[in-house]
Amino acid sequence: MSGNVETGLGPRTRRLLAGWAWVVFAFLYVPIAVLVVFSFNASSRVNIWGGFSFQWYGEALNNEVITSAIRVSLIVAAVSTAVSVVLGTAVALALDRYRFKGRRALDGTIYLPIVIPDITMAVMLLVFFAEAFKFIDSFGPRFTLGISTIALSHIAFNISFVCVVVRARLDQFDRTLEEAARDLYATGWQTFRRVTLPLIMPGIAAGGLLALTLSLDDVVISAFVAGPGSTTLPVYVFSSIRRGVTPELNAISTLMLAASIALVLGSLALQRRRASASQQTQVL
Amino acid sequence: MTGAVAAVEIDGVTKRFGEVVAVDNVDLAIDDGEFFALLGPSGCGKTTTLRMIAGLDLPTEGSLRIFGEEVGMAPPDLRPVNTVFQAYALFPHMTVRQNIEFGLRMRRVKDPELSQRVAEATGMVRLSGMEDRRPDQLSGGQQQRVALARALVNQPKVLLLDEPLGALDLKLRQEMQQELKALQRTVGITFVFVTHDQEEALAMSERIGVMSEGRLLQVGTPREIYERPASRFVADFIGRTNLLEATVESAGTVRLANGARIEAETSLPAGSEVSVSLRPERARLHPRGTADAEGSSLEGEVRDITYLGHAVVYEVAVGPMSVEVRVEGETGRPFGSGDDVTISWDHGAAAVVAD
Amino acid sequence: MQPANRTSESTPASGEKAAAQAQRRQGMLLASPGALYLLIFFVAPLALISVYSFATRTSTGRTSLSGWNVESYRAIGDDVIVGIIGRSAWLATLTTALCLAVGYPFAYYLATRPRHVRAILLVLVMIPFWTNGLVRVFAIRFLLGSNGPASALSENLGFGTFRILFTPTAVTIGMVYSFLTFMVLPLYVSLERMDWSLTEAARDLYASGSKAFWKVTLPLTKSGIVAGSVLVFVPSFGSYVVPDILGGAKTLLIGSYIARQFRDARNYPLGAALSVLLIVAMLVAVALNQRSGSGAEGGDRPRRRRRGRARAEPEPAAVS
Ligand SMILES: Nc1ncnc2c1ncn2[C@@H]1O[C@H](COP(=O)(O)OP(=O)(O)O)[C@@H](O)[C@H]1O
Ligand SMILES: [Mg+2]
Repeated sequence: MSGNVETGLGPRTRRLLAGWAWVVFAFLYVPIAVLVVFSFNASSRVNIWGGFSFQWYGEALNNEVITSAIRVSLIVAAVSTAVSVVLGTAVALALDRYRFKGRRALDGTIYLPIVIPDITMAVMLLVFFAEAFKFIDSFGPRFTLGISTIALSHIAFNISFVCVVVRARLDQFDRTLEEAARDLYATGWQTFRRVTLPLIMPGIAAGGLLALTLSLDDVVISAFVAGPGSTTLPVYVFSSIRRGVTPELNAISTLMLAASIALVLGSLALQRRRASASQQTQVL
Repeated sequence: MTGAVAAVEIDGVTKRFGEVVAVDNVDLAIDDGEFFALLGPSGCGKTTTLRMIAGLDLPTEGSLRIFGEEVGMAPPDLRPVNTVFQAYALFPHMTVRQNIEFGLRMRRVKDPELSQRVAEATGMVRLSGMEDRRPDQLSGGQQQRVALARALVNQPKVLLLDEPLGALDLKLRQEMQQELKALQRTVGITFVFVTHDQEEALAMSERIGVMSEGRLLQVGTPREIYERPASRFVADFIGRTNLLEATVESAGTVRLANGARIEAETSLPAGSEVSVSLRPERARLHPRGTADAEGSSLEGEVRDITYLGHAVVYEVAVGPMSVEVRVEGETGRPFGSGDDVTISWDHGAAAVVAD
Repeated sequence: MQPANRTSESTPASGEKAAAQAQRRQGMLLASPGALYLLIFFVAPLALISVYSFATRTSTGRTSLSGWNVESYRAIGDDVIVGIIGRSAWLATLTTALCLAVGYPFAYYLATRPRHVRAILLVLVMIPFWTNGLVRVFAIRFLLGSNGPASALSENLGFGTFRILFTPTAVTIGMVYSFLTFMVLPLYVSLERMDWSLTEAARDLYASGSKAFWKVTLPLTKSGIVAGSVLVFVPSFGSYVVPDILGGAKTLLIGSYIARQFRDARNYPLGAALSVLLIVAMLVAVALNQRSGSGAEGGDRPRRRRRGRARAEPEPAAVS
């Protein structure tokens, strides 16, 4: 039986299914592929192929506004990932293994930022920062929207995503391992350091990767809380698209695509290495 | 008691989880160097008792001493005991060596001694050469041995084992039973062993404590527990037995439900409702009228025959009761269904147990 | 992480209680930084937007935080807004249905490949799932533009140029393109878990191939269908980027309409009221999913017992 799963379908249905699958893959990949190809188009008219060229990449990377947007995106992603990994993991641990006052409320609230649409989160934070600044300004210092408000907003949703991912890992955690450590003279902290933390590390890493991706992807929330001097790359792309399609945009988009794909493949490779390590050991 | 301090002394210990009474007012003293088994059906509170000795659960009431020192509330890292967990709980991210040295490192034992003790423990459980493997590269039996070494390397005063053989297949389990017994004799420390398998408890331990529904029903040697069960539950739980309803007539006789009068020792007052426990293999079967004069006997009719190869089990109807008789290494003509027979047993082979 | 109560003199009962108390303190300590952050940067904004929805818009477009009223909620009954909400709901439903129709046979095919092929195909699905959403919408915009490659191709083939951009059709294509993988992954998970000996049993009991599918496979993968539908419906209903880039003035959806209230229209109270409505609708959708999912797998799993006796199983390749 060639390892194929026996589903009881006739041969005609199977051929149809296979054909359909490739149609869907084409649907998923062709638009991206076309975009990538045209980013190397020497012609500035988007519908005519004028030969291969790196011209638009050069122009994009020499554009002051674009490089500054890239810098903002990277800083925001790094900061929001670092902070939300720490806070989200701590919340996940607390929810998984302690009973305390307000636990149920926290448990419910933590899912909300994941569920509610980006646009509502965006306007909520916009109004909030406006009111907060009005309040703070009355004491003297002047704050404005900018890179810090973007980072604060990204942390607000990333905590939830990290927490959910880490909690899924904790759910599979065998707590007798901690008891065994306690039985072998480890103190509470040593148990956490030597047993709990190493074992939930893959979950924390996965949560961090997710936070990084979401921060780099976000456009709606950033668009609302970004200031005039500081926008992220997606926000720049978004507002440029409204003004029209340019070959320069194709080049930036291709770069963003490459970054996303590198992240996915990197995390998949990480996952695979772990999986194959444990598979090898099972063979022995 | 010989006056020596008990290895573990449990005094009126109760553990409640909310409404559930997991352990109910248990008193127990386990001697130094003893191989002690806690036996009972699943959910009766064995694990909870063991965990309180280890310090992984705290008692709700009562006191707990290890070699005379009160430890009821002490955290696990301050108790001179170690545990072999039910599913071993080996650290999956550490090698065999790292697992075994964990406890020593936590107590800051330094190198010449550390590696010497680890090597010793590894050799003791015959795992030399596998130090650099990870737990998932080991078979079930090997994992079990790592768990043992990881506990024993710390030279605990008491070793606690929670159904350590439960996950192994039958053949390996029997081997490990022998190995564990030998190991206990070598190291000479107290083993407290939890199991729900009565054969395992009988085969391995010097004394057994039988638990049911959180209470400790009886403590004794395997022979005492098997031959002189103190209650109907113990008689029924350990081995197979016939429990015949009866009423005490005097100190030496009871009357069975079918009216037959048989001899059996009891200290219960006349008129008490009791059961007579008669082990199937302690009864003998004869053609009607050929029984020996000694001991007690009942008359009945063979109802059902189960052939087991090394033994034959007859189900005999005695009035309204049904009695199982097990004949090992049968010689002579076997009985057939419907045969009239006499069941007999030696004086003292049947035990009277309170209901 | 356990509390270390090192006094062995204290009586058992108080010791047990003290341990529980220390547990509570420790849990609170661990949770409080994250909880505090959410309180300030999520709960407070949520509360603020609810407050705003009862405020008044002054003639200059400012928001007056006095004279509380439900005008904004009443304004939602306006024909224009009802139309926008209706269109958003219709497009989200259409998107969900299309994703299901396209995604189910696709996921079925993936889940029934031999193991090693499955792993590779799954990576091919994960890549679009994780890649930047904005760029993917832009790719559609670029492809479908009136002087874009698709149009040029069609012209060269003699079909003439086409104008599809800035129509509801373009928005629907963009939404399906954006959210298809959200449907495929849960479907794949439930189909991969499927015990195919059950369909064999159905065939053995005289069901035809299609009967076996409708009576056995489909009901058993219901949890994947429900989860995928919620994952597609929720973001398409509130979608802002897709209609903004691909839709014209005629395809105004609720997400863009809300954004407009906080930008050019400067009607914060109305935008706030619509946001509250949107949040409530999404929560209801998710709660319904939770309810229907809890019967099958995928719902709330019962909390594991405190003592984990089960051996940790090697985790299956993490998907979503
Ligand atoms: N952490 C716990 N919370 C609530 N109930 C528990 C807990 N641990 C054990 N119990 C209950 O206590 C009783 C005894 O359990 P246990 O000691 O594990 O039994 P055994 O090991 O004999 O099978 C059972 O009814 C069990 O459900
Ligand atoms: Mg147990």
